[in-house]
Amino acid sequence: MTKRILLYATLAIGAFVSVFPYLLVLLTAFKTQAQLSSTAPWLPGLPPTLANLAELLGGDFPRFVLNTAVMTALLTAGQLVFTTFAAYAFARLRFRGRDVLFWLFVATMMVPSAVTMIPLFLIMRELDLVNTWYGLLAPYVLGTPYGIFLMRQFFRTLPAGLEEAARIDGAGPLTILLRVLLPLCRPALGTLAIITVIASWNSFLWPLIITSGDDTKVITVAIATLKDGIGVDYHLMMAGSLIALVPMLAVFVFFQKYIVRSVVLTGLK
Amino acid sequence: MTGRVPNTRGDGTVVTPLNARRRGGWHAYLFVAPSLFGVVAFLLLPMLIVLVLSLFHWELLSAPEFAGLDNYRRLADDGQTWHSLWVTFVYVLLCVPLQTVLALGLALLLNQRIKGIRLYRSLFVVPWMATPIVLALIWNWIFDPRDGAINSALALVGITGPDWLSDPAWALPAVALVSVWQYTGYTMLFFLAGLQGIPKELYDAAATDGATPAQRFWRVTLPLLNPTMFFVMVTNLIGAFQIFDTVYAMTDGGPGRSTEVLNFRIFQTAFKEFDFGYAATLSTLLFAVILAVTLAQVRFFARRTTYDLS
Repeated sequence: MTKRILLYATLAIGAFVSVFPYLLVLLTAFKTQAQLSSTAPWLPGLPPTLANLAELLGGDFPRFVLNTAVMTALLTAGQLVFTTFAAYAFARLRFRGRDVLFWLFVATMMVPSAVTMIPLFLIMRELDLVNTWYGLLAPYVLGTPYGIFLMRQFFRTLPAGLEEAARIDGAGPLTILLRVLLPLCRPALGTLAIITVIASWNSFLWPLIITSGDDTKVITVAIATLKDGIGVDYHLMMAGSLIALVPMLAVFVFFQKYIVRSVVLTGLK
Repeated sequence: MTGRVPNTRGDGTVVTPLNARRRGGWHAYLFVAPSLFGVVAFLLLPMLIVLVLSLFHWELLSAPEFAGLDNYRRLADDGQTWHSLWVTFVYVLLCVPLQTVLALGLALLLNQRIKGIRLYRSLFVVPWMATPIVLALIWNWIFDPRDGAINSALALVGITGPDWLSDPAWALPAVALVSVWQYTGYTMLFFLAGLQGIPKELYDAAATDGATPAQRFWRVTLPLLNPTMFFVMVTNLIGAFQIFDTVYAMTDGGPGRSTEVLNFRIFQTAFKEFDFGYAATLSTLLFAVILAVTLAQVRFFARRTTYDLS
C-alpha cells in the first residue's frame, strides 16, 4: 500500500513539474496586454479574455495551422513508409556495403545543421525549389537517418530466425516485412509516428529558410513572427502556442495506444 | 532463457547471419534506395560541401577563396573555441546522464498496469511537444531571480536562490535543467517501446529461479534493452553536443561566455560575423568530437552481448 502511494506521489510530482511551465502558457494565453504586466505569471488574469485566441483564429492563423497539418501529414506518411523499408534492409537483410552505408546515414546526424542549411539551401536554389512545397518537404519525406536508426534498432530486438518459417513457405522479403515483422513492431511504429508528427509540427529552421510567402508558412514561423513585431506580444505568442499544442496532444493520445502489446503483459512490479 | 547463443551484439548487429544470407541482394538495395537518394542529396552532399568549405575563406559577400589549412591553424590558437568545447562537455555531462536515468526510471514506472497510465504518459511528454521558442520565454520567467517561480518557492523554505541565468556559475546548470525537463519524457518513449518488446516469460522464469526485483532489472531488463539503450545514448549525445535553441533563446551565450556552447559559437561565426569558412571549420571540429564519442559507444555496446530468445 505504501508502495502504491509512493508510486502515485512520484508520478504526480513528475507530472506537475512536466506541465507547470505549460500552465503558464495556458494562463498567459487568456490575459490581456494590461493583465500581462499587472499579474504574476502564475496567477490567472481576471476576467480571462478570449481576445487573443479570437484575434489569431480570426486572422491568417488557421491557414498556417492547415499548412502545418499538410506538411506534417505528408512527412509522417513518407517517413513511416521509407524509413521502415530502409531500416528493415539495414537490420535484417544482408547486402554488400550495408554497415558502411548505415553508418554513413548516422554520420549525417553528427554535423550541426545550422551550417549545412546553407549548402542545402543552395542545392534547393539550383533545383529551383525555393519557396515551394517540394523544397519544404524534400529533405525529410524520404525518411530521416534518425527514424531509420530507431527502426533498425527495434527490428534487431526481434529474435533472429523469425523469418525462417515464412521463408521456407516461399515468402519474399516484402511479404516477410509486412506479414511477419511489422505486426510485431507496433510499439516502434507508434513511437516513430509520434516523434515524426511532433518533430514536423515543431520544425522551425528549415521552413524559415526555405519558405517566405503565406502559402507555405507554418505555425512555428508564424509564432516567431509575432515576436519580431514592435515589442513582444507574449500573450499572442502564448495563445498561438496553445493552439499549436492541442492537436499534438490529440495525436499523441491516438498513437500511444500502439505503444502497448496487443496481449497485456506487465511483469514489472 | 533457452540456449545462451550469443547471436547479436549489444548494438544489435547480427553476428551469425543465418537469417539473411540468401535473401537480400538486389531486394535490399531496392528497400534502401528512396532513403539513400534523400540522404545523399539533402544530407550527405551539404555535409561534404561544409567539409570542403572549411578549407576556404568565405565571407558571404566575397567569392570563396581557397585557404588550405588556414582555418585549422586559426582553430589551434582559438582559445574561445576551446572554451566553447569545454562548456559543451560540461553541459553534456550535466544533462545526458540525468536525463537517461530519469527516463528509464519513468519508463519502468509507466510500464505497469496502473490507473490513469495514459494520462501520465501524455503529461510527461508535454514538455517535448510544446513550441520550443515559447518555452524558453516561460523558463526565463520561472528562473527570474526576484519573483520567478523557483526562487519564490525556495524563499518559502528560507533559501535565497541564486540569480540563475545572470549568474555565470548557475546559467549553464539552468540551461541543462531545461533540457532535462524537455527531453526526459521524450526519451522515456523509447524505453517504453523497448520494454514492451521484452517477453514476459523471461520475468516469469527469473521469478521462478528466485531472482529479486533488482536482479531481474540488471540481468533481464537492462541487457534486453541494449538495442534501445544504444539508440538512446547515441542520439541523445549527438543532440546534446549540438545544443543550440535553448541557449539562443534563454541566455544568448552569456553571462560572459559561460553558456557559449560550440554550436552557438558556430552560429555566431556564421550569421553574426559572416565568416562561413571558419564556421565550417568549427562544424568539422564538432563533427569530429561527436564521431569520436559515437565510435566509443559503438565499441562499448559491441562488447555486451544479448542472447537469442527464439
